[in-house]
Amino acid sequence: MSDRVKKHQAQPNETRRKILKASAMAAATAGAWGAAPFFGPWKHNHVWSQAGQKKPLVIGLTMDASGQYGASGSMERLGAMMAIREFNAKGGVLGRTIEAIHIDTETTPATGSRVAERMITRNEAAFLIGGVHSGVANAISQVAQKYGCVYFNTNSSSPTESGKDCHRVKFVWDGNGTNFAHAIVKNALKANGNRWLLLTNDYVWGHNTSKAMRTLVEGNGGKIVDELLVPQNTRDFSSYLLKVQQIKPDVVATAVGGDDIKALRQQVVSLKMNQKPAWINNQQDWPDVYGLGPDAIFGVFGTTWYWRLDLPGVKELVAAYQKTYPGMAIRVPGNVYYNGYVATRELLRCVEEAGSTNNVSVIKKLEGRKMTARDRMQHFDAWINPTTHQCQQTIYMAGYNDKPAEKDDIFRILAQVPPQEVEDAGAPAACKLESYASTPTYEQ
Amino acid sequence: MDFLINLLPHLLNGVTLGLLFALIALGFMLIVGVMETINLAHGSLFALGMYFALFFVAPQLGLLPDLQAWYLALPIGTRYLAALFLAPVFVGIFGMALELAMRRTYGRDPLYGLLLTFGAALVIEELIRVVWGSTEKQLALPESISGAVLIGDLIYSKYRFFASGFAILAILVLWLFLEKTPYGAMIKAGAHDSEMVRALGINLSRLRLFVFSLGTALAAVAGVIMAPIWGIRPHVGVDAVVPAFLIIVLGGVGSLWGAVIAGLLVGLVVGLTGAYASEWSLMSMYLLFIAVVTFRARGLFGKKSVLEV
Repeated sequence: MSDRVKKHQAQPNETRRKILKASAMAAATAGAWGAAPFFGPWKHNHVWSQAGQKKPLVIGLTMDASGQYGASGSMERLGAMMAIREFNAKGGVLGRTIEAIHIDTETTPATGSRVAERMITRNEAAFLIGGVHSGVANAISQVAQKYGCVYFNTNSSSPTESGKDCHRVKFVWDGNGTNFAHAIVKNALKANGNRWLLLTNDYVWGHNTSKAMRTLVEGNGGKIVDELLVPQNTRDFSSYLLKVQQIKPDVVATAVGGDDIKALRQQVVSLKMNQKPAWINNQQDWPDVYGLGPDAIFGVFGTTWYWRLDLPGVKELVAAYQKTYPGMAIRVPGNVYYNGYVATRELLRCVEEAGSTNNVSVIKKLEGRKMTARDRMQHFDAWINPTTHQCQQTIYMAGYNDKPAEKDDIFRILAQVPPQEVEDAGAPAACKLESYASTPTYEQ
Repeated sequence: MDFLINLLPHLLNGVTLGLLFALIALGFMLIVGVMETINLAHGSLFALGMYFALFFVAPQLGLLPDLQAWYLALPIGTRYLAALFLAPVFVGIFGMALELAMRRTYGRDPLYGLLLTFGAALVIEELIRVVWGSTEKQLALPESISGAVLIGDLIYSKYRFFASGFAILAILVLWLFLEKTPYGAMIKAGAHDSEMVRALGINLSRLRLFVFSLGTALAAVAGVIMAPIWGIRPHVGVDAVVPAFLIIVLGGVGSLWGAVIAGLLVGLVVGLTGAYASEWSLMSMYLLFIAVVTFRARGLFGKKSVLEV
């Protein structure tokens, strides 16, 4: 073999070494300058390492866009998107722009699991946000815990979410059935009578909310005369309403949500049963009542926020919603949108404070976190219970506003109850958070 | 005795519910029975009927404010009647367009027809969202058929009686049309032996166009009637298409009276379980279906196949 040939063969090796050395230098320099050096698995980082820029922070939005809670899921998604938009306008978080991906969880737990798995393993989502149906939220959180991905349950309210189904990675942002029951029961017993009938959506939220209601009613001298289970997606309530008439309770306490409560409310009105017996809906989500008409907004119900609360920041939030989403059928935001917004905002703040997307760092920022009433646009300060991961917040009791100040002023706030008075005392005992050690490290 | 007295309102409720289920299934039955096409867009056309009714009761004519004001000044009864008769006409026109699109699937694997109508269902639902938005809507009713009536010491919806009466009327009119008119005879003949019908000089394409259009118009009629009970939202069609499918299989594919009896049975079962075992109320119709089809695979009034021994 001639020297010329040998020289020719040696050239690629030398070139490769030079490239490797240069790459190592470049990576180290980039690290020194604060850009993300390449540490992670190649499949995760190759595009961004090659492009020489920071990888966007992907947030997986696991909201229902169809099924029983399709309307609420769509609204909480808009709330989360608003918070993401605000952070991106400031340059993102940790110098990374935030990208949101949304896949419809279809108000179906099995779909929730699939969506979460896909978002974590294929879309490289750093965090998951979204949940109205407690079964779906529970399914998502199981997958999130398996990988260690922090998950925000924004709007599902089964007490089990921060009780027996709690997880180290899951944070629950809405008030739960027990919180609302605490706020309602005593006054309702005094005002309306002792014989109560429970109308319960036949799934985890309905069951556990009615269970909390039953405990409080019976504990305060009331009597549950019957409990009728309402399968999800029930559209015809005629047989239930006949049964209610035959039983003649003083109070009907419903734990019915989504499209089911819309149909129920309309059918109650058509029978003119909206005045008697007394109706109590544990929690009334804004998208489930908006547009139903004044007659259908009967009874007393719980909520965590109202768009006409006379508090700093509320008007600005409403104006921002209307500016960002002009021409919406729901002209003003409600509790579901609010939860989506404040939860996402708080998550991104925690990431900024932690200086990392590392799950344990973010979880530690969230556990026990205190949030001022002013910042959250509520009447009382809120905090995240470190043993249950549920946000303890103001609970509002509301009814129909027969003297509206403007067209969409359909709620009259009857009372605001501080979080200390409505705390779910049983949750800490029921909730067994996984240890940090047994929670996989997760960082995107 | 008390039990029987308590049971009576639930039986009555079950019958009215059953009539409404039968009404929902009528159009579906007609298209499956005559054209052997499963129209998965039935639910979306049912929903479209609701939205057209909404338009005819309370139109939003932004560009023609004078016309809108004149129309809204008409009595609600007149506007409701207009909705009841015109909404099915408009949906029937949609049905015609769908049938024209389906012609390329005739004689092919039935899957093509299924996919096409499924696609049409999605398109119609999204169209509804674009035009009317996705929030819940209400259909205003004339005073004479809204409100409640007192039966003994029980309150019952006046509108439900109207809706059930209307369902009986629709069933009878369809029966008379199919049994007592030459066009009905042609439709039935077309279902039994389309080649012979064509050989007799009957325009089969036009006949199919008419049947499909009539089936979709009936879906709209059901939509208009059910709107005040179920509420109006873009995806409400899903709630209609599943029981419709179940009822026509239960009653026997292509049998009008089979669909009516099956509808009544489903209504009674759902109504009674709703009162006495409420957690089973939705499941009960599927259990009834399994029970019947296990012993009689062709449904209650289905014709015996030549393949059956």
